[in-house]
Amino acid sequence: MEDTASYPTIEPSNFDLIVVGTGLPESILAAAASAAGKSVLHIDSNPYYGSHFASLNLQEFTTFLQSQSQSPNNTPAEIQPDSSSEFETVPLATRPMYSSVEIISNSPEVLDNSRKFSLELVGPKVLFCADEMMNLIVKTDIHQYMGAFQSIDGSYVFDGSNGCLRNVPDSRSAIFKDKSLSLAEKNQLMRFFKLVQGHFQSDGGEESKRISEKDLESPFVEFLSQKIGLSEKLKSIILYAIAMADYDQENKEVCKVVLKTKEGIDRLILYHSSIGRFPDAPGAMIYPIYGQGVLLESFCRRAAVKGCTYVLRMPVVGLLVHKDDTSYKGVKLASGQELFGHQLILAPSFILSPGLAHSSPGMQGVKVKVTRGICITKNPLKPEVANCLVFYPPQSLCPDQLTSVRVLQLSSNVKSSPSGMFVIYLSAVCDDVLQGKKILNVAINTLFSHPASADNKDSLVDHQNENTEVKQKPTLLWCATYIQELTTDVSDGFNSTTMPDADVQYNNLLDATRKLFQEMYPGEEFFPQSVSPEEEAVDDGEPELESKSSETLESIDNGASGIEYTS
Amino acid sequence: MTSRRRMLLKVIILGDSGVGKTSLMNQYVNRKFSNQYKATIGADFLTKEVQFEDRLYTLQIWDTAGQERFQSLGVAFYRGADCCVLVYDVNVMKSFENLNNWREEFLLQASPSDPENFPFIVLGNKVDIDGGNSRVVSEKKAKAWCASKGNIPYFETSAKEGYNVEAAFQCIAKNALKNEPEEEIYLPDTIDVAGGQQQRSTGCEC
Repeated sequence: MEDTASYPTIEPSNFDLIVVGTGLPESILAAAASAAGKSVLHIDSNPYYGSHFASLNLQEFTTFLQSQSQSPNNTPAEIQPDSSSEFETVPLATRPMYSSVEIISNSPEVLDNSRKFSLELVGPKVLFCADEMMNLIVKTDIHQYMGAFQSIDGSYVFDGSNGCLRNVPDSRSAIFKDKSLSLAEKNQLMRFFKLVQGHFQSDGGEESKRISEKDLESPFVEFLSQKIGLSEKLKSIILYAIAMADYDQENKEVCKVVLKTKEGIDRLILYHSSIGRFPDAPGAMIYPIYGQGVLLESFCRRAAVKGCTYVLRMPVVGLLVHKDDTSYKGVKLASGQELFGHQLILAPSFILSPGLAHSSPGMQGVKVKVTRGICITKNPLKPEVANCLVFYPPQSLCPDQLTSVRVLQLSSNVKSSPSGMFVIYLSAVCDDVLQGKKILNVAINTLFSHPASADNKDSLVDHQNENTEVKQKPTLLWCATYIQELTTDVSDGFNSTTMPDADVQYNNLLDATRKLFQEMYPGEEFFPQSVSPEEEAVDDGEPELESKSSETLESIDNGASGIEYTS
Repeated sequence: MTSRRRMLLKVIILGDSGVGKTSLMNQYVNRKFSNQYKATIGADFLTKEVQFEDRLYTLQIWDTAGQERFQSLGVAFYRGADCCVLVYDVNVMKSFENLNNWREEFLLQASPSDPENFPFIVLGNKVDIDGGNSRVVSEKKAKAWCASKGNIPYFETSAKEGYNVEAAFQCIAKNALKNEPEEEIYLPDTIDVAGGQQQRSTGCEC
């Protein structure tokens, strides 16, 4: 609030855990540690929550992306060695996590409404109604902070042969209604879904209905063609639009990750168990109003309610290292204050200053990146559809498309954009910058047309195929494309969380976060089932802070506190 | 017909640490006061049912959960508020001076569609202390500030003695209800994930 140069002094100065960065994994860990009774300090240098998982307005988004794509210019402050201290300070720097940032703005209307956008860096991401993240949201009750969700109304797959979007037959009723499927195809799919259902329901029971272990370990693509006998078209839908495989599963040479049958079946089951979990949600997926940033802020609020101390706008300049055993004992803040923590978690962009202990910004062994794009238009990709997912299977856009491109369209009903505008997120896994940019540009070119006025701009697409069906395509008003690094959770005496992955859901991220918690606090439960508010109030001696007081109910009954409203 | 969302009124309480935000909430909802000050831990939000014209509304009063201490309340806290309560301690000048910062922070973060007419309420708390002898902010001064900001309703309260708390919150509820939620028509079929757990209230008795 007060933009003064003077930083506040934080008290106390000792914590069980210090978390630097407020991305989703850091926020979950802060909440989990606070719930386990640890004293936690959670700090971030930005004036907002979220780090690499933030939902930002257009201006903030652009600034963040650009600032995080430059080489670290934060020449670590010369920190004077203090011989009397038993600690020395190792300067901390950040590494650029984004590259090849290109932003095209074709419409002043978009910029004028900057504050009405809520754009996220992790897109496209959604919640499956029955996924692990949703289970955690419900278990911890943080949905009460999140507000409402909107449903993802449809899921489509791009048919490269005719350039159309087809419905993804994700349930029996969807198969039944699908006019583009032949009778034989419907039969094939129905039989397959029945088989998966049988496998799921017989878990631990009837062996006859279970898919054999050998088959479960086999590549899903082989299982689908050899054991199920699905047509190429159906196989592609199952692999890329339902099981959401990243790589071309048919091409062994370029396929870096082969999806096993077991994983494919699990994702199919997740799809099915998600449909109908919440009475108001017709499909498998939902999206929080105002975006994914609300999710991490809700975890932070939960942490705060459990006693976690929050300090935004507080940069960390170094780590405190014990002189004897060189173990990390705390952090040095931009204010000069030194704070101590038994454990330390850092957001993924932090590195120890080059030249010291740590190697260069290399993500050792990890060569994969994510290419992402955000587009703003006034027209939906498919008429009358507000929020939807679209999948472009490998090779559907062009012959050298090696990975699946995923697209999420959001309407203003999730408050990501002002009324009448749509935000479209795109992402794909890629090996390098060139490949990533190329595939994204082809996808954007397939989806949108560019306004004539864009000619004088430094347009990022080639226009060769643009004349074919320009009229039906939504016009691109604003677009940002960038390449994001992926990190693994390397531990160098401190714990680092990971960057947002390329998945449309949070399962892997949540697994990694839970694992990190369990490594730090073996034996502690990751979010124990919350006790009832009454018990809790007694436990910590707080004066009756219940989420709903019994007197409240009384006062309804006798109407004692009813307010007379005269208008 | 009013949508389900309309039945829930979100009220947030802002102000410096230690001015009595949690105590005011607690006095209003539970009619209880604790002398022991502890920076807020464990406070989440309190709900109270209020009645207007035979219809029940849930007043959901959000505590800052201690995140105000270093001005680290996130945008999600502010967003969707139907009324913003600004609290200061009549015995602490700084807490009064900061009201302006809190008000501006709210308008910036929540970006209400009609900032001029967004309902704020100001509470000057702890009027009981030392029989009023230690107060440094006069009622006149506080009212003048409220008048200059578009006639914000002003109440002097004592959470400890329960003085004026009920009246203040009745005004808060009334004003929250009058605040028309922006773009309500775009929120017809939102998904309530708690609905999967328990029977959802049908919401409207009319």
